[in-house]
Amino acid sequence: MSVVVYALICITSCNNDNCSGNSSGIPLAAFMNGDNAVTINNLTVYGIDAPNDSAIIRQTSANQVYLPLRITTTTCQYVMDYNTEGVDNDTITLNYDIIPYFESRECGAMYNFNITSWDYTKNAIDSVTIPDPLITNSDVVTIKIYVR
Amino acid sequence: MTTTRLHRIIVLLLALLVTMPLMAQELVTQDSVAQGLQRKVTPVKPSTNKVLTPPKGTDEKIIQQYLTGDTAQARAQERKDSLAKIYPHYPTLTELSLGLNFGDALLMIFGQKYSSFDISATLNMLNRFQPVLTVGLGRAKETPDDMNFTYKGNLSPYFKLGANYNLLFKKEPQYQLYVGVRLGFSSFKYDITDVTINNPYWGENNVNYELKGVSGNALWGEFLAGLKVGLTTNWALGWDVRFHGLFKEKKNDSGNPWYIPGYGTRNGKWAFGISLYYTIPLNHDRWPVKDDKKKEKKDDKNSDKNPPSQHDKRPQLQRDK
Repeated sequence: MSVVVYALICITSCNNDNCSGNSSGIPLAAFMNGDNAVTINNLTVYGIDAPNDSAIIRQTSANQVYLPLRITTTTCQYVMDYNTEGVDNDTITLNYDIIPYFESRECGAMYNFNITSWDYTKNAIDSVTIPDPLITNSDVVTIKIYVR
Repeated sequence: MTTTRLHRIIVLLLALLVTMPLMAQELVTQDSVAQGLQRKVTPVKPSTNKVLTPPKGTDEKIIQQYLTGDTAQARAQERKDSLAKIYPHYPTLTELSLGLNFGDALLMIFGQKYSSFDISATLNMLNRFQPVLTVGLGRAKETPDDMNFTYKGNLSPYFKLGANYNLLFKKEPQYQLYVGVRLGFSSFKYDITDVTINNPYWGENNVNYELKGVSGNALWGEFLAGLKVGLTTNWALGWDVRFHGLFKEKKNDSGNPWYIPGYGTRNGKWAFGISLYYTIPLNHDRWPVKDDKKKEKKDDKNSDKNPPSQHDKRPQLQRDK
């Protein structure tokens, strides 16, 4: 009987292939203070060597920010410009492996990433943690930036 | 003196007791006649000479048993025959069917990008339980218009083991309505090619890669319902609808397969099949004979033994006078 129940449960719930996530693996960073999320005002985030000095966000209040990874090299650097007098910019460096990945027909082929190491300056940042180094297309926080 | 007197009183009372009913009856009769009523007595025809005709189709053997007075045996046989009509008893090995599933070939005409072809062997037992073994090959090729890849599922084998239960077990095996379960397994390989990735923030456009020879395997279960209709004595056509789900599959760093041979698309819950069957009857001489065929057989026997004038004379049971 329990086998039949398991079979029914499995058949109705074991796979869900609708593309509810992003079209590629991308880390989502959240600003934290202790266990609480915090909002950083007037924040600009950009990648070093990004074409045309384009910013990911520019002078915006944010408690989360996507940090797109490069797919032709295995290192990325991001600058956090707080646009506040007396607070210097911070730089975060991520080193990672690139994993070609086929998610599904609906989501298509993409890259996942495995963060191998990371570094950061400590101007306004206290620490950076990455609890799960595998970056997929799931829309969840993967990097926690603890600010002072 | 007192005793003699007592005796006289007792004798008088007895005399009254005897004469009172007679007097009362006389009074009632006179009363009835006076009212013009008379008790009618309906004569009953004695049943001892009644000729009993056995029900139409009663077996000759049973009739003989009644005639010889073995009624218990005859009734038991009648009950057995009656049950046999309701639950016809087919032999344990009733028939063997070989099927070719070509449902996907039809669906490919309507644009389906994958196909499975399989052959199945079904052993019909008691015209009810039917173990089924299926062996097949599946392949896929899909380049979605709005997506960034080409998926190619290499031709790979799959196997299914399960059983059907024939709901029409009272009918002839040529026509079946069944439900069933299957356990399926496939080991397969697939390629993901023509992948194009754009990374607009970093200005990385049209980055290509391909994944070749990715291996996978899957174990799944199916519930199904189907219909089988005889075309000729040995050939039949069948349709089935299957509801399925994955139990287990190989985890792969490079992703999930889109197509699993024998299962269909990974996110699909339903599948459809059309099969052509060739059936080999087994132990055909032990199959229950239909009533009309039975009658034909009997008639043939009788016509051999008896002259045509006696052919229509049904045996009659007659009680002893």
